Amino acid sequence: MSADCLNTTFRALADPTRRAILAHLASGEASVTELAEPFKISLPAVSKHLKVLERAGLIARGRDAQWRPSRLEASPLKEVGDWVAHYRRFWEERLDCLDEYLSQLKEKERKHGRNK
Amino acid sequence: MVETSKEANVSSAAELVITRILDAPCALVFKAWTDPEHLMNWFAPKGCAMPYCKIDLRPGGVFHYCMRMTEGRDIWGIGIFREIVVPERIVYTDAFADANGNQVPPTHYGLSSSHPAETLVTVTFTEYEGKTKLTLRHSIPISVEERAGTEEGWTQMLDRLAEMLAVRKGGS
Repeated sequence: MSADCLNTTFRALADPTRRAILAHLASGEASVTELAEPFKISLPAVSKHLKVLERAGLIARGRDAQWRPSRLEASPLKEVGDWVAHYRRFWEERLDCLDEYLSQLKEKERKHGRNK
Repeated sequence: MVETSKEANVSSAAELVITRILDAPCALVFKAWTDPEHLMNWFAPKGCAMPYCKIDLRPGGVFHYCMRMTEGRDIWGIGIFREIVVPERIVYTDAFADANGNQVPPTHYGLSSSHPAETLVTVTFTEYEGKTKLTLRHSIPISVEERAGTEEGWTQMLDRLAEMLAVRKGGS
């Protein structure tokens, strides 16, 4: 796995058309022509997107030169999902602590104010 | 007062967004996040301590900190502030570091080499019915040139995708 593998995945996912292509492929493999249809973009443009997705390991393409169906690959997506899930847990916990700490601060302030 | 460094013009593709309502005024929440004396009381994960924290609160200023894990191991982090709007917004980069404040790769702490070397944290504080609405965005910075489109909620789309895949592959 390359050093900036996750970055490559994120960059590939940065484009809405590429995300839509992935969503399409989630229901099964498809050819370039089939993928171009809903987006109203040229076949070369779709091919370019597919190359980016293939380089990022998000899709695999068939060997058949005529049809070359694209297929979704799960592992890089899982890695992105894991990263997001890890940090969501981390921040939710931090924010719980912040919430608690703020209550303590306010309580101290209240007591201090009363003693004046 | 608005201070913005030039580097703040960075967009992102991967983004984690969390929103919380905190029962305290913005100024206090901002202070709790940017004053080391406050931050050291809550920023370390449960069971961990934060024995060191230095904050130079200005664009380009450094946020250098240490987290002492439960087993006694120290993990150092370093951030650079990209943007500071008192008491509304802070933007900083986050990376692993050593005790001297030099950035180190995630592998230094035994993490996988696919772990991003640097991430971007954006925290906004908005007044909300006498309380504070805090929005936290954590992302992998991607320059504007690399970004092809703006779209909210792509992580949800990703979740759906992962679910569909799990169903299709029988949960493998």
